[in-house]
Amino acid sequence: MTFKDILKITFNLVVLYLAGGLLLAAVYAKTSPIIYKNNELEKARALKEMMPEADEICYIFEFTDERLNKLRDKGVPEEIINKLKELQNEKMIKGKEEFFKTLEEMLGAEAVENYKSLLFKTLKANDWYPHGKHAEYFITKKDGQVIGYIVQTFGKGYSSYINILFSVDTGFIVQKIEILHHAETPGLGDEIELDWFKNQFKGKDIEHLKVDKTGTKKEYIQAITGATISTRAVSEDGIKNGILFLQKALKGEVEHGSA
Amino acid sequence: MEVPEEKISYLQLIKNGVFKENTIFRLVISLCPSIAVTTSIKNGFLLGIAVLFVQTMVNTTVGLLRNFIHPRIRIPIFMLIISGWVSVVDMLMAAYARETYKEIGLYIQIIVAFASILARAEMFASKHRVDYSFFDGFGSGLGFLIALVIISFFRELLGKGTLLGYSIVHAKPLLIMVMPTGGFLVVGLLMGFFNWIDMRFYGGKGAGGAGGH
Repeated sequence: MTFKDILKITFNLVVLYLAGGLLLAAVYAKTSPIIYKNNELEKARALKEMMPEADEICYIFEFTDERLNKLRDKGVPEEIINKLKELQNEKMIKGKEEFFKTLEEMLGAEAVENYKSLLFKTLKANDWYPHGKHAEYFITKKDGQVIGYIVQTFGKGYSSYINILFSVDTGFIVQKIEILHHAETPGLGDEIELDWFKNQFKGKDIEHLKVDKTGTKKEYIQAITGATISTRAVSEDGIKNGILFLQKALKGEVEHGSA
Repeated sequence: MEVPEEKISYLQLIKNGVFKENTIFRLVISLCPSIAVTTSIKNGFLLGIAVLFVQTMVNTTVGLLRNFIHPRIRIPIFMLIISGWVSVVDMLMAAYARETYKEIGLYIQIIVAFASILARAEMFASKHRVDYSFFDGFGSGLGFLIALVIISFFRELLGKGTLLGYSIVHAKPLLIMVMPTGGFLVVGLLMGFFNWIDMRFYGGKGAGGAGGH
């Protein structure tokens, strides 16, 4: 190989990979906000279906120093911060609309309007991070009474992290599950999307989220033929750990890192 | 250094991809996805469509760029083109065709590792004009699609007793057919059948693929 060849090869690789990289970056820049919006929409739609009997899906809001400092850094005026400080020791469990209504009463409509999404994002404390990914949990109410919880969680599957949403009642019995996103093997692992698989979770408590491969112990979760790893990812890694986290979080044993 | 090429008819190229150089039955490559996915006709068909599209685009791109690509580094460049197209299609569909993406998105993502796409780029598109490359890509993609549908037809019918999700056979299905074992059985029998046709009626020598996944 001559020096000229080496030069030509280098030039070749640089040009083509640069062009490829630029093309991908351009497509990503154009599509990623839309994809994000689509994902959020789907999540919101799935949330509503998780517990149809609930009339309010509530977030948890905290007013800790850490969160207030963050607001100050982002340019929220001191007078608003001072008013919010009065809530310092409170945990507010409210739906999105109710939360804004309460703030409006405290701070005035104009102040809330100006910093709406910032206030919501910073004070919201219902985030958690299974496998280092951002997920949320929600408290559902009916006529002001807590009737259950909805948790988003991730399970480590065969070829992807499976994004799961599930609801439990106040006794931590699973009500419904939904697979938001996954990239398991088509034909095998992707059966986690099917209704027969999702429906078997109804009524299971934490003890019965174990996976049964023999097909005889019907009180446990039945594994998908050829996709035990995906099954385990949903039921043991995803939902079981989600319930364990939820129980801890409700006892107040979890430190909420702010988003 | 354009070498004048002999004229090939487009139809001939497509037929070549479907029969003479059928990816699965004649070249015996990309068996891994064709066995993993063909548990139902719907799955087989969707993967086939995804491959058909990516194969055509990759072949066209390689055909366009072939005089610029240095022969020593052609494989990494082909991989770039394949993964580039896969990522672009994946992102565009996730953003603009959400419903279709839900059905077909999984299949798009696994195409990057397909031997058949790389093989076509290497065997054909890197040596032929862009229009020939386009039709060759389309033909072999179509051949792959047809092969997947045939395989999944038998596997779904025997392994689940259904066709396109509708119950056909009201007996206990042969579970082995939806397992990978059954996939090999069906592919092997079909390959033998097509070899037999080839030898009996066309005087061929049967498939002699080196295999690959």
